Amino acid sequence: MQVQSMFFKRNASMKLDDPALQKNMKTMKFVDARARAVLDVDCWQEIRTHAAALRDRTIANLDAYLVEFERNATRRGAVVHWAETAEEACRIITDIAKKNDVRKVTKSKSMVSEEINLNEHLEAAGVQVVETDLGEYILQLAHEPPSHIVAPAVHKSKEDVADLFVAAHHRPRTTIIPEMTREAREALREHFLTADMGISGSNFVIAETGTTLTVTNEGNADLVTTVPRIHCVITGVEKVIPTFEDFATLIRLLPRSATGQSVANYLTLTTGIKGPGENEGPEQMHIVLVDAGRTKFVGSEMQEMLRCIRCGACMNHCPVYQNIGGHAYGWVYPGPMGSVLTPVYVGIENAGDLPNASTFCGECQVACPVKIPLPDLMRKLREQQYDNALRPWSERFGIRAWSYAVQRPRLYRTLSAIAVRVAGWFGRRDKLIHWMPGLDGWTRGRDMPAPQGKTFREMYAGRRDGGRR
Amino acid sequence: MKVGLFVTCLVDLSRPSIGFAALRLLEANGCEVVVPEAQTCCGQPGYNSGAREISKSIARKVLAEFRDCDYIVAPSGSCSGQVKVHYVEDLFHGEPEEPEFRALAAKWYELSDFLVNVLKVSAVPGRFEGQVTYHDSCSGLRELGVKRQPRELLEKAGATLAEMPEAEKCCGFGGTFSIKLGDISTRMAANKCASIHQSGAKVIAGGDLGCLLNIEGRLRREGDMETRVLHYAEIIAGEG
Amino acid sequence: MSAREAILARIRKAHGREGAAPTEAELTDARNVIARRERGPQPSIARPADREQQFLRECDRLGTTHAHAETIARVPAEIARYLDANAIERRVVGWPQLAGLDWVAANVHFDNRPVQPTDHVGVTSCFCAIAETGTLLLLGAPEMPKKTALLPETHVALVSRARLVDTMEDAFALLRAERGEPPRATWFVSGPSRTADIEQTIVIGAHGPYRVHVILVP
Repeated sequence: MQVQSMFFKRNASMKLDDPALQKNMKTMKFVDARARAVLDVDCWQEIRTHAAALRDRTIANLDAYLVEFERNATRRGAVVHWAETAEEACRIITDIAKKNDVRKVTKSKSMVSEEINLNEHLEAAGVQVVETDLGEYILQLAHEPPSHIVAPAVHKSKEDVADLFVAAHHRPRTTIIPEMTREAREALREHFLTADMGISGSNFVIAETGTTLTVTNEGNADLVTTVPRIHCVITGVEKVIPTFEDFATLIRLLPRSATGQSVANYLTLTTGIKGPGENEGPEQMHIVLVDAGRTKFVGSEMQEMLRCIRCGACMNHCPVYQNIGGHAYGWVYPGPMGSVLTPVYVGIENAGDLPNASTFCGECQVACPVKIPLPDLMRKLREQQYDNALRPWSERFGIRAWSYAVQRPRLYRTLSAIAVRVAGWFGRRDKLIHWMPGLDGWTRGRDMPAPQGKTFREMYAGRRDGGRR
Repeated sequence: MKVGLFVTCLVDLSRPSIGFAALRLLEANGCEVVVPEAQTCCGQPGYNSGAREISKSIARKVLAEFRDCDYIVAPSGSCSGQVKVHYVEDLFHGEPEEPEFRALAAKWYELSDFLVNVLKVSAVPGRFEGQVTYHDSCSGLRELGVKRQPRELLEKAGATLAEMPEAEKCCGFGGTFSIKLGDISTRMAANKCASIHQSGAKVIAGGDLGCLLNIEGRLRREGDMETRVLHYAEIIAGEG
Repeated sequence: MSAREAILARIRKAHGREGAAPTEAELTDARNVIARRERGPQPSIARPADREQQFLRECDRLGTTHAHAETIARVPAEIARYLDANAIERRVVGWPQLAGLDWVAANVHFDNRPVQPTDHVGVTSCFCAIAETGTLLLLGAPEMPKKTALLPETHVALVSRARLVDTMEDAFALLRAERGEPPRATWFVSGPSRTADIEQTIVIGAHGPYRVHVILVP
């Protein structure tokens, strides 16, 4: 996906004024659904704690678990590839396609593939790529990127989808959602059955057995990974977990956190290629383990981000995301997780506004099933910006000036008394400041109640003859 | 019992009446209140802007000013969260000064939490008949567990609570966020104002002046001059 | 240096370790952790007082319909009843192990062959079922193709009460005990397929089946 995160502020403002987006964002019911689902699990907090610890332990020995995964996957007939960069990952998969005369690829959802622009590369090599997750299929027709990691087409209305389907399927237009869904099923069924290669992501990979897996509701990942003669999995190196039991723990958290379901419809675990006597399944299985910036988090003060299980709860609960949608964030991952991943993956100078687009309200941290301290991570990115002078000079100057005054009580008393009078003057008419220099960001949309007239310091000193103590 | 009052920079600048309300509430319950003269700010604006060393300097100043008090009380969830959570678990975590800040944090209370759980007040000086709706500020709620306490105090003053939908949702203040990302902040404030109107109450109370300025500012810009926006301390100390 | 070595070396360096590969001791530690097979905290729904009730309750939530057959011999009759009730033609394709049931007596046409795109109903058994979530576990095997359950619009699954377990952890333990290694395909099915990708409106029936019907047998 093209990086647009440097235009965050402008795009966010546009999205605020986009009535269609605002209306479509209101269809999201994930927050309430998650709240209800969590009530079914009486040890939810304990499971979160256990899951966070198991992810941390695994990342602390990431190399050993990756090697163990590779050993078992290889033993079962999969070919494991390693890719340091996005380009390398694309090249590996494109080479597999070319070497095996692949003309058509069906794809189930993979956020990593969005990171590396895989579809573009394959198409440039003459391979037809068909997205099969309904949301991703809609976006493929629209030539748009996803705006949410679980509900990628949430920003689209049913009328939008009807228009896209008419153009693509040449059938009578309908806006009835079950009818459109069946239409997509029928359109994609042919592709499922004629694809040469299936590409899937992998929600986790299991070291114990060399297993890759997808967590889906539609059944598309099953068709993608069972029917074609070649199966290619692409996933991030942080996805490895030790055992099936760890998966069982995480799967209690993931669907509930994502959509409020107690379980996803299909948990599809794939281990290697077909064994003797089996006649169903691909002839070849390739697993591409991608770094593309993930190792930057390992051992760093932001390592907790690697716990992420890609549920989307953070963005669902984020009041900023709720108001601006996912596209404003300008890259693959929106919301709080995007505000941490994007600066690290595409460069903090290209995504500087993202970690600043938060009030640190903490909803994301409370909702995160693996207890990632997202506000703290965003603050750490702000620290990096401050230390490297990456914010506008006016901001930096403002902090230095404020810091100078605030540590010098007598100077502060004088300056604050002046500031209060100046502000009072701007709001003299109706005790409301409608505008004041430096307050543009506030007064564009709000008044500022005028200060009461004197500082507390002045009034207290006045009352108590210089103050007690 | 020597109780230090941390006034907060916003109260000092914009609404001293909140500070005096806090003072009255504490003195009415037998506290010997001191208001250290040199106090200015808890350091949160700089902290959330990434100025870590500056934040630590300011924290040390706060420690020096308040360390000799038996308790410290602040009419703000976000300042109290800065001291109780961020000083201890981030800024000085694992450093030689951590025990001193831990000791400070242990004595530090958000005002309603102090009144209800330490002083265990049975009554409040203020009287307020009528409906009040309450906005839960994010830090107070999620960092300190302040939820029930201000509501209990308002009910002791005679108020009827008319809960708004999504009382716990962020109002969009977020410190410098309100200026740096003013458009998003304004929209969040507008959403909060819609919730307030849905509650039917003509008074909205809260525990953090930043939130209250944000909310009041948006209400007035929308043309609502009627809804009163008050710190809970102003209501229960008798100034509501 | 290969990408593999570069990635492993970077991970190791970040953790303060030398080299481009985990040591034998580190691999042994990892394998020991794996061998412990530690389970996470188990909620109450993982220990139901009545396992079958829990399973059926979850099926109801998922939209999986269910029925009982006193013996496996009664299954074709139950399937006939189910198909009639849903106005579906009495034609099914199924796994070879079920071919020996008396389909003729129940007047149901049973095809013992791989599923084709034109088949409407697939009949399978399952390795076990999980009460906590109303889930069926199907293990791929030579005579047990997943496509029979995946491609048709209706999936009928026989669930043996003796093979009903409480949790996914229990299902994995059973898999290990009976098979050792997982087969290529280890497939957990919970209800008919669904999507909510258009305006967050849930639609039952996406790319997988529109209907899942469970028949509990002894």
